[in-house]
Amino acid sequence: MANVATKVSWSGREREVEGQGETTPLLNGTASPSKPRQLTPSSSSTRLGHLSDVYLDEDSELELDAPCSLPHEIPHNEKLLSLKYESLDYDNCENQLFLEEERRNHTAFRTVEIRRWVICALIGIFTGLVACFIDILVECLAGLKYKVVKGNIDRLTEKGSLSFALLLWAALNAGVVMVGSLIVAFIEPVAAGSGIPQIKCYLNGVKVPHVVRLKTLVIKVCGVILSVVGGLAVGKEGPMIHSGAVIAAGISQGRSTSLKRDFKIFEYFRRDTEKRDFVSAGAAAGVSAAFGAPVGGVLFSLEEGASFWNQFLTWRIFFASMISTFTLNSILSIYHGNPWDLSSPGLINFGRFDSEKMGYTIQEIPIFILMGVVGGILGAVFNALNYWLTMFRIRYIHRPCLQVLEAMLVGAVTAAVGFVMIYSSQDCQPLQGNRVTYPLQLFCADGEYNSMATAFFNTPEKSVVSLFHDPPGTYNPMTLGMFTLAYFFLACWTYGLTVSAGVFIPSLLIGAAWGRLFGISLSYTSGWIWADPGKYALMGAAAQLGGIVRMTLSLTVIMMEATGNVTYGFPIMLVLMTAKIVGDYFVEGLYDMHIQLQSVPFLHWEAPVTSHSLTAREVMSTPVTCLRRVEKVGTIVDILSDTSSNHNGFPVVESVPDAKQTLGLRGLILRSQLIVLLKHKVFVERTSLSLVHRRLKLKDFRDAYPRFPPIQSIHVSQDERECMMDLTEFMNPSPYTVPQEASLPRVFKLFRALGLRHLVVVDNQNQVVGLVTRKDLARYRMGKEGLEELSLAQT
Amino acid sequence: MGPAAALLLPGVLLGLCSGDSLFPSRPFVLQSGQGGRGLGGWRLPLSLELLGEAEDLSLLASGPLRDLLELEPECRELLAAFADSSVELTGCLVRSARPVRLCQNCFRQFREMNEKLENITKAVGNTSESSKCAKSLLMSDRLQIVVILSKFFNDTWEKANCANCLKNNSEGLSNSTVMFLAKFNASLTCFEHNLKEHEDSILVSNYTQVCKNCSEIYRSLSDTYKKMQESGQKHDAEEQSHLCIDVEDAMNITRRLWSRTFNCSVPCSDTVSVVAVSSFILFLPIIFYLSSFLHSKQKKRILILPKRIRSTTSLVNIQEKCH
Repeated sequence: MANVATKVSWSGREREVEGQGETTPLLNGTASPSKPRQLTPSSSSTRLGHLSDVYLDEDSELELDAPCSLPHEIPHNEKLLSLKYESLDYDNCENQLFLEEERRNHTAFRTVEIRRWVICALIGIFTGLVACFIDILVECLAGLKYKVVKGNIDRLTEKGSLSFALLLWAALNAGVVMVGSLIVAFIEPVAAGSGIPQIKCYLNGVKVPHVVRLKTLVIKVCGVILSVVGGLAVGKEGPMIHSGAVIAAGISQGRSTSLKRDFKIFEYFRRDTEKRDFVSAGAAAGVSAAFGAPVGGVLFSLEEGASFWNQFLTWRIFFASMISTFTLNSILSIYHGNPWDLSSPGLINFGRFDSEKMGYTIQEIPIFILMGVVGGILGAVFNALNYWLTMFRIRYIHRPCLQVLEAMLVGAVTAAVGFVMIYSSQDCQPLQGNRVTYPLQLFCADGEYNSMATAFFNTPEKSVVSLFHDPPGTYNPMTLGMFTLAYFFLACWTYGLTVSAGVFIPSLLIGAAWGRLFGISLSYTSGWIWADPGKYALMGAAAQLGGIVRMTLSLTVIMMEATGNVTYGFPIMLVLMTAKIVGDYFVEGLYDMHIQLQSVPFLHWEAPVTSHSLTAREVMSTPVTCLRRVEKVGTIVDILSDTSSNHNGFPVVESVPDAKQTLGLRGLILRSQLIVLLKHKVFVERTSLSLVHRRLKLKDFRDAYPRFPPIQSIHVSQDERECMMDLTEFMNPSPYTVPQEASLPRVFKLFRALGLRHLVVVDNQNQVVGLVTRKDLARYRMGKEGLEELSLAQT
Repeated sequence: MGPAAALLLPGVLLGLCSGDSLFPSRPFVLQSGQGGRGLGGWRLPLSLELLGEAEDLSLLASGPLRDLLELEPECRELLAAFADSSVELTGCLVRSARPVRLCQNCFRQFREMNEKLENITKAVGNTSESSKCAKSLLMSDRLQIVVILSKFFNDTWEKANCANCLKNNSEGLSNSTVMFLAKFNASLTCFEHNLKEHEDSILVSNYTQVCKNCSEIYRSLSDTYKKMQESGQKHDAEEQSHLCIDVEDAMNITRRLWSRTFNCSVPCSDTVSVVAVSSFILFLPIIFYLSSFLHSKQKKRILILPKRIRSTTSLVNIQEKCH
C-alpha cells in the first residue's frame, strides 16, 4: 500500500512541473516540436516507444526516472480528468427551427405538462415493480440457499464433518457471485457498484457512457439479486436508485435504442434537458422504493443533483416517489397474502419503533453526539481503506476475468468468515417462536440457537432489523464486537468489486452492531436501564452511514421515514451532522471519492475558494476551432473526423471569404447538429437546385438523439466536399459569452446555474478568444496544499 | 388461595349489579369459598340464590321502581351463568399454570364461557327484551366488567395459542397434539424408568444410561415437534406462528432435561478440518492480490496536453505557494 501512496504523491508533483513547463499554446492538440519542455528530445519524439511493456512494467525504474523524464503515461491516480466523459446539453438551443416549431404547434405545448405527469406516474409504477421483482426474487433465492446450507449444517453437525458444510456454503456463495460478476464485468461494467456515484454525475451534468441504458438496467437488476443471494456484504438499495434513473430515462424517451423499438410517444422529451429532469424523478422514485421514503427520495434528488430546480419539478418528483412507494406496497401486500394492506413500505423496513419504550431524554443527547463522532471516525477509516483498495483495483485488477475472480474470492471468504465466527461463538439464546428466520443450532443445546448465526446467516437487511428490534439480552457483547469487526472489513473490501451492489445496508449493519454494543455497555457500566440497545443500534447505524456516505438532509429524512418515527428526527439529525463534520475533517465521502477516482469532471457547488484571481483567459482552451457561417463541407468533415481534438461545440463566426483573422461571434453549433446536417446533406448547392425535398425539422435532430452516429459512418463524396453548408438557421444564435477578465468563480457560477456545456470567451470586438468547457473548470480543486490542477487523460 | 380469589369475581359482579358495595355479599362469597370445590352442577343454584339474597339486602324500594332499577330475571340468569363459567375457567387456568397444561385442561371451560357470553351478546339483535339485556350487561357503564373479563380470557387464550392444538371446532385436542403428548409422556416414563435403575446402581450423576435408552423416543418426539412447527408455518406464512403453549412447554422441558440436565447431546466437532479449510480460503485472496500485483500490467493513463494560454502561469503558482 505504501507503494501506491508514493506513486500518487509523485505523480502529483510531476504534473505541476509539467504544467509550469508548458508555455506555448498547442494547436489543435497536436504536439508541436518546438515547445520548450523539459523533455529530452528523444523521449518526446518516441512517445509511442514508451508504450513498450518492458519500460513501463518496472515501477522502480519509472520512479527513479521521474524527475528527469516526463512520460506521457502515468499510473492512474485521483488527480486526473478522463476524456471519455462529456457534458450534457442542458442549454436549450434556440435556433430558428425551434422557433418555427414553437410557432407552428403551440397547441401541442399545452399537453406537454400532462404528458410529463403521465411519465412521472409511469416512472413510479415501473420503479416500484422492479423493486418488487428484486425483493421477491432475493427473498426466494436467499431462502432457498439458506435452507440448503442450514439443512447441511444440521445434518453434518451430528456426523462431525462440518468442514463440508463450510465448503458447500463457500462454493454456493462463490458460484452465485461468479454469475453476478460475470454479467457485470463482461456485458456492462458501468452497472458495477451502487450506481449512486454515476447517477450523481449524471445529475451533475456529466454524460457517463451507457449509464441510462436498458441493458444496464437488466444487468443491474440481475447483478444485485445475484450478489445479495451470493451472501456478499451488500445491499440492494443503492442499485434501486440507479434502476429508477434508468427506468426514468427510458420511459421519458418513449423508446429503447438497445431494443431498437420506438413507440413514437413522448418525442418532445428527446433532449438532455428533459431527460435529466426525469432522471432525477427516477432517482427519487428509486430511493422511495428502496427505503419506503418518498420525501427522502425527493430530498435525495435535491441534495445530489438538483442544480436546476423549480417547484413544479419538485412536485412532480414527489408524485413519482409516492406512486413508486404505493406500487411497491400494493404488490408486496398481494405477494404476502394480505392484499390492499398498504402499510408495509420499502425494500428495507426498519420496523416500528415503539415511542414509549424507545423514547429519549435530554441526557442522552451528548451520548448520541458522541456516537456521531465515533461514526464519523469509523466512516473515515472505511473510506480511506476503500480508497487504497480501489486505487489498487484500478491499477492492477482491470482485466474482467481478474475482476470476476476477485468477486468470487470475496464471496467465498465472506462465507468462511461467517462460518468461523458462528463456529467459534459460544453465545446461545433460547428459541422463541419464529423470531429467527434460520436458527442454527450447531453446538448449542436443543431448543437454543447460535446468536452469531442470526447476524451472519441471514440477508443483511434482516440482520439490521433484528439488531434494531430484538429485545435486550439477545446478543452477547462479545458476539457484537466480533461481528462489527469482521463485517467492517468485509463491507469495505466488497465495495468496489465488479458486482452491482450498494453500501447502504452494510453500513447500517456495521453501525447497528456497534451501536447496540454501545447501548449494552452503557447499561452495564452506568446501570441506566433506559438505555435500550435497539435505540442505540439505530443511532449507531445512522452515524456509520452518515460517516461513510456523508449525506445529510436526505439521509435524515430517509432514516426518519424508514423507522416511521418523527420524534427521532432530532437525534438522527444531530448524529448525522456530527458524523459528517468529523468525517469531512479526514477524508471525503465514499461517493465523492469514487467519482474522483473515476476521473469524472464533476462540478461541485462552488468554485474553489481561492480561485478569484484566475480569469477566464487562463482557464479557457485556446485557440478555438471556429466555423464560418457558410462553411465548406470538406472543412467540417475534416474537423469532425480529427481524432486528436474531439470537440463538441464550435463557435460560428461571420463568414468573410479569405479573411485571415478571427471574426465576430455569431453563434454556436454542436457536433451532433453538424452530424445530422451532414447526414441529411443540407448543402447550399442542393437547396438551390431544389434537390432537398423537405426542410429539416427539429424532429430530425430528436430522432437521432441520444446516439448520434459517428462521423466515420457518414459518407461524403469528393464532390460534396466542395459544397457549402449554411449553418445560420441551425446554430444557437445567442450563446453565452464572458469577457476575458471574468474570474473563475463567475464562470463557474454560470456553468453551475445554467448547466452550460460551452462558454465562449470573447474580447472587446466580440471576437472568439477561447472556449471554456466543464473540464476546464473541473480541473481546479482545493487540495491539501491549496489550489490544485488536474490533468486530462485518456482512459 | 387460588379458588378463593377466583370466587371473589362473582362477588364483584354482584356488587356492581345490585349497585351496592362489596361488603354485604362478602360472607356469601366466603361461604361459597368453603364449599367451592364442588361440582359445576351444584354451583348454579347457589349463585342464583346469592343473587336473590343480594337483592333483598340492597334495596328497600318495591314494586314498579324496583322493576325499573333491577335487572330482568332472564338477564340475571344469563349473568349468573357467565359468572359461573368464568369462575370455572379462571380456576382451571390458574391450576394448570405450571407445568403448562392450559389448553388440554381448560378448553371445555373456555368453550363454556364463550357460550355463556354468546348467550348474552347474541340477544342483541333479536327481541327487544333480550337486546335490553345485552345493553344493560355489556354497555351501560364505564367499566363493563363482562366485556373486560371476556376480553381477558380471549386474550389469554390467543396468547397461549391454544387454537393451534385443538380441533377446528375446539371440541377436543387435535390428532397431532394427542400424538405429541403421548410421545411426551412416553419419553418422560422412559427417563423416569432409566433414572430409577440408575439410582440403584450408582449415585454419581452419570446419565449415559438415559441417553442411550431414550434417544430413540426423544428423537421421535423432536421430529414430531418439528413437523408440527412446519405445518404451523405453512398455515400462516406472515404471522408469528407459535404452537400452542402446552406443546411448546412440554418440548422445552424435555429439551432442557435432555441437553442440560442429562447432557445427552454432545455434538462432535471437527475443529481441525474447519480451521484448515477456512484458512485455505482466507489465504486465497492474499495469493490473488500478490500475484496480480506482481504479474498484472499496471494500467497507465495517457496524458492529454490542454490547449491553453500559459502566459500568466506565475499567478497560479503564487497561489499554490500561498496555501
